[in-house]
Amino acid sequence: MSGTEALRGTGMGTGTAHGTGLRAWVVRRLLLGAGQTVAVVLLVFALTEALPGDAAVALAGDQPDPARVAAIREALHLDRPAHERLVAWAGGLLHGDLGTSLASGRPVATYLANGFGPTLLLAALTVALLIPVSVGLGVLAARREGRFADRLISSATLGVYAVPEFALGVLLVTVFALNLGWLPPTAVGYGTDLLAHPAALVLPVLVLLARPVCSLARLVRAGMIDALASPYAAQARRYGIAGARVRYLHALPNALAPAAQQLARTIDWLLCGVIVVEALFVIPGLGTVLMNAVAERDVPVIQGLAVVFGLTAVVLNLGADLVARRFTPRAAVAA
Amino acid sequence: MKPRTITARRGWGRFALALLITGVPLLIALLGPLFAGEPGPRGASFTLGGGHWAGTDFVGRDVWRQVLLGGRTVVLTALSATALAYVVALPLGLMSALTHRGWLEELLMRPLDVLLAVPSLLLILLAAAVFSPGAAGLALLVALVNIPDAARIIRATAAEAAARPAVEALRMQGESWWRMAVGYVGRSALRTLAADAGTRLTGVLYLVATAAFLGVGVAPDAADWAVMVDRNRTGLFVQPWAVVLPAVLIVALTMGGNLLFDAALTGRGQRRTPRREPLPARKEIRT
Repeated sequence: MSGTEALRGTGMGTGTAHGTGLRAWVVRRLLLGAGQTVAVVLLVFALTEALPGDAAVALAGDQPDPARVAAIREALHLDRPAHERLVAWAGGLLHGDLGTSLASGRPVATYLANGFGPTLLLAALTVALLIPVSVGLGVLAARREGRFADRLISSATLGVYAVPEFALGVLLVTVFALNLGWLPPTAVGYGTDLLAHPAALVLPVLVLLARPVCSLARLVRAGMIDALASPYAAQARRYGIAGARVRYLHALPNALAPAAQQLARTIDWLLCGVIVVEALFVIPGLGTVLMNAVAERDVPVIQGLAVVFGLTAVVLNLGADLVARRFTPRAAVAA
Repeated sequence: MKPRTITARRGWGRFALALLITGVPLLIALLGPLFAGEPGPRGASFTLGGGHWAGTDFVGRDVWRQVLLGGRTVVLTALSATALAYVVALPLGLMSALTHRGWLEELLMRPLDVLLAVPSLLLILLAAAVFSPGAAGLALLVALVNIPDAARIIRATAAEAAARPAVEALRMQGESWWRMAVGYVGRSALRTLAADAGTRLTGVLYLVATAAFLGVGVAPDAADWAVMVDRNRTGLFVQPWAVVLPAVLIVALTMGGNLLFDAALTGRGQRRTPRREPLPARKEIRT
């Protein structure tokens, strides 16, 4: 046993045993991520291609026109066995080839490229606001525990937590666009360059933020109350360390642990929320592209978008778990 | 520390308020169809007044009648989806918590871990694109996406209960597996499961309504609150009631549901967030 090891053991609490434990955990988590990636690809393929009966007839719509059925059969290579199609499709994915649309004959990649900007903008704005707002609300409620501000924040976050985005959004549009006339009701007419029209982004981002903020703020509040009542916070106060310093440097990092674990769930909500919000505010992003493809039963476009959404979720989940693990080395998170 | 009576009274106040917020949409949803009456003649689209006190919708139907009819599908689909999810998740979770065979647990839970990463609405949309499901299909899909998470929570709760000394004692007394699993482990996990069922029901309600809003599992002109919001949006500036009424009912149902479950579960004894119980040391420092 070398001196450095002993030192590490007494110092930061990262002994050798713990170090290998962490490494093993990261490897396991990465393996799970790889498994999830494969599962997403298989699931998307199975769901969209495992049509009962003749897929081409089913996809051609209510009045199957023989020419269209033949075209679909040709485009999807339905004459080949399913496993060959899966291999060809998955092989294409590896090279970034997502196939071509049934409806327009354009490559699926162009659909993605067109919708990417607005969706990324929405997601980036939401995430940038999500963490400061939810931590702020949670800490504020925890500081005023049991008093009016806390009761207000706790009830509001609990209430809004489960409200579907479309209902909340439509009510906000009624108030802010119809009654008050402050904000535009939809993003119609602004094209994909939404950054030039910030007013059109206010309501979508607000609606997108609602649920994740509520869930994270509640967890931060609960964690903060626990942390502030803990012996180490009391000890820090006994040393005469300033209240704000105890709160933000000592208690907050521990209070964030459960919130970090919840981040993964939040990602699921954000991906779903983006689809709804884009439909509601007519924003030409990936969600709108997906909904149009679903309406037209444009299988290659649906597959491509589903893979992109699914893999985004897998990667972000992986990241959230790694972050959560960083905050709480002791608690074993997923896998 | 507050006197117990005040906390208790506040608990009852919250409970009553939550009950009121949930009760109105729930009553309309369940009993509304009884009072809806026969469909009247269709009027012009998006008008106000003219015998329709809440106006007409996008195809000229009476909005109030549609509101009375439109809650039942949302509520019943959500209830059956939640029940269905537990029917599968309960045996899965209990079995993997109580088994002594590591491979069986892995076999049961690993596939669910893999599924957990797929966004739930995406899965529903994908299936909907191909199968065009009805209300029953939607309930099935929503139940399906809820199984992984429910099974994980059940497994974690049951595993904790199964590791207690009491189970050891039962085993040494030679009690049957069934008595241990259902009689002890199941019973001690009940409280956590009740809390989970509450949040899950509101989550399912959210998914069902959102899917219906996006056109999954419903006819385009169905009497359904979520469909009403979607289809009448075009007339929002002419006839807001056709959108606002169903939207408010959905908000009240989900919001009230969450408040109700929270009040019901925290009101009796335990609280989910620890109440203030000032440690002596902390008090000293404060003053």
